[in-house]
Amino acid sequence: MTIRRWPYRRIHALLGALLVVALVASAGIGAFSFSPAAMARYVGGWLTGAPVAGSDVLARNVFLSLRLPRVLLAGLTGAVLGVAGTLMQGLFRNPIVEPGLVGTSAGAAFGASVVFVFGTGVAMASLGALAVPVLAFAGGLGATLLVYRLSASFGKVNVFTLLLAGIAVNAVCTAGTGFLSYIARDPQARNITFWNLGTFTTADWRGVALVGPVFLACFGVALRYAKALNALMLGEDEAAYLGIEPRRLIRRLLVLNTIMVAVATAMVGVIAFIGLVVPHILRLVRSADYGFLLPASALLGATLMEVIDVVARVVIAPAELPIGIITAIVGAPVFLSILLREQRQGSAGFYG
Amino acid sequence: MVEVRGVGYRVGDVAILDGVDAAFAAGRFNVILGPNGAGKSTLLRIAAGLVAPSAGEVRLGGRALSSFEPEELARTRAVLSQHVELAFPLPVADVVLMGRYPHYGRVPTARDREIQARALELVGMAHKRDQAYPTLSGGEKQKVQLARVLAQIWNYDEPRRLTYLFLDEPTSSLDVRYQLHLLDVARDLLAYECTVVAILHDINVALRYGDTFLVLERGRVAAAATGPDAITAELLERVFGVRAHRAIDPADGQAFWRFSLS
Repeated sequence: MTIRRWPYRRIHALLGALLVVALVASAGIGAFSFSPAAMARYVGGWLTGAPVAGSDVLARNVFLSLRLPRVLLAGLTGAVLGVAGTLMQGLFRNPIVEPGLVGTSAGAAFGASVVFVFGTGVAMASLGALAVPVLAFAGGLGATLLVYRLSASFGKVNVFTLLLAGIAVNAVCTAGTGFLSYIARDPQARNITFWNLGTFTTADWRGVALVGPVFLACFGVALRYAKALNALMLGEDEAAYLGIEPRRLIRRLLVLNTIMVAVATAMVGVIAFIGLVVPHILRLVRSADYGFLLPASALLGATLMEVIDVVARVVIAPAELPIGIITAIVGAPVFLSILLREQRQGSAGFYG
Repeated sequence: MVEVRGVGYRVGDVAILDGVDAAFAAGRFNVILGPNGAGKSTLLRIAAGLVAPSAGEVRLGGRALSSFEPEELARTRAVLSQHVELAFPLPVADVVLMGRYPHYGRVPTARDREIQARALELVGMAHKRDQAYPTLSGGEKQKVQLARVLAQIWNYDEPRRLTYLFLDEPTSSLDVRYQLHLLDVARDLLAYECTVVAILHDINVALRYGDTFLVLERGRVAAAATGPDAITAELLERVFGVRAHRAIDPADGQAFWRFSLS
């Protein structure tokens, strides 16, 4: 198999253009539809503070305070999940890993459910608006670390232990979340249910303001580890011979990754499979080089999420489908096909 | 020059290595011999700085190994292991470029690219530079790894810089042609003042390529010798528990060994 030699920059530019198209389309389509010209006028007016004609006020408000934050949050979440999937697959040296499989999402969901149910407690109150992201981070990190420790022994990640450890840790977290929703009063339980399926209906500027900077900071740091992640593909010992300290690298990236995923998950709920599909497509298109994969997975993740969000809005309009249901329907077959292909290729692709 | 001084390594109550002293000379092909479980790989991993010894110390060029920064050490010594697999489809050229990682920041320099190209050329894999690494044969993979390891320490334009190459049973999965080719390439590095330290299983191959020999037996040094003539039948029989017969190849007058169980 020969690998294509298209320049990375050209693919990144192409993905960037696709993202712009998806953003404009996603911002325009829905219960209210907006023409690109109207959107430009609203955004322009908002930036310059120009007055709006009376008939335009309602449409403008819907666009600026509902549609625009939703579109931006969806893009950011997609970017977070794409990059997170790429980082996780690099750390575990395995193409079937994603935040949902290794416990990050379920752990974060459990942490967030604690806030939903006991949210009025004294300890929570002191955290204020950050209670959900902070507890989601704690739960996500704990679960992911546990799965990594169980599956990585002697410097190699064993895929069977990884899957089994993932199942066990996910089961514990899901049971915890289930217990909390069982003892919860009705509005809290509905919160948990919606959240477990992922949704952008509650998107607001506060979410964008939280996820945006966190994503940019984590992504910037992750880019600096592109070389180290490439070297880690050779295994922990070989990476160490190249001057990288694998244990430190893995610890740092796990924390970085969990911060991103927990904050995004805290805002929009659990969305599976984006992190699995995005790096997989990109490897088929060009290469497994992390210098290419990391920026590309942010762009493609954001684009995919916009498309899925549009589908969620229009398919059973005026109601909305939860995002997690669509990603699971699309993602599960992809996951199975990767699994089958790896199996046919023998153990070469797996550290089993 | 690699100096190993009183190195011991224990796992629980078991001593894998015990009071090992050795000196691997610069510009020489140094071979470590010994039966399975003698501690050869552990000694190599300690000498290469991957594992810290429980006792004693290792010095590279007169400097304690523990005083090197990780990246600095990576620019000084490289290690070729037995099998290196990749889970993801990276092109051959990118794998070789990894050898230059300790030398550049975000973007490789023209010199890094030049060394990458020369290393690929040297192992005869330049024509496969765009092929996905996981789809290569075992022998080809090992050649690519050799190119990567060469790129790591081979600075063709600074011949006086001291470097160290460790080979951990590099030929165990290769057919005879690949074996000889790989060891020839390693030998060529000696002209650059490189210190080569290799664990080899085939004693005839070891005697043909090696300049100095360190024989390990149950974690201790059984013999340290220079020149193939210093390896005696008595030593081989005692350490490996076999009968050893020395014979002369009538074609070129070189000695070789044949082994049997009784």
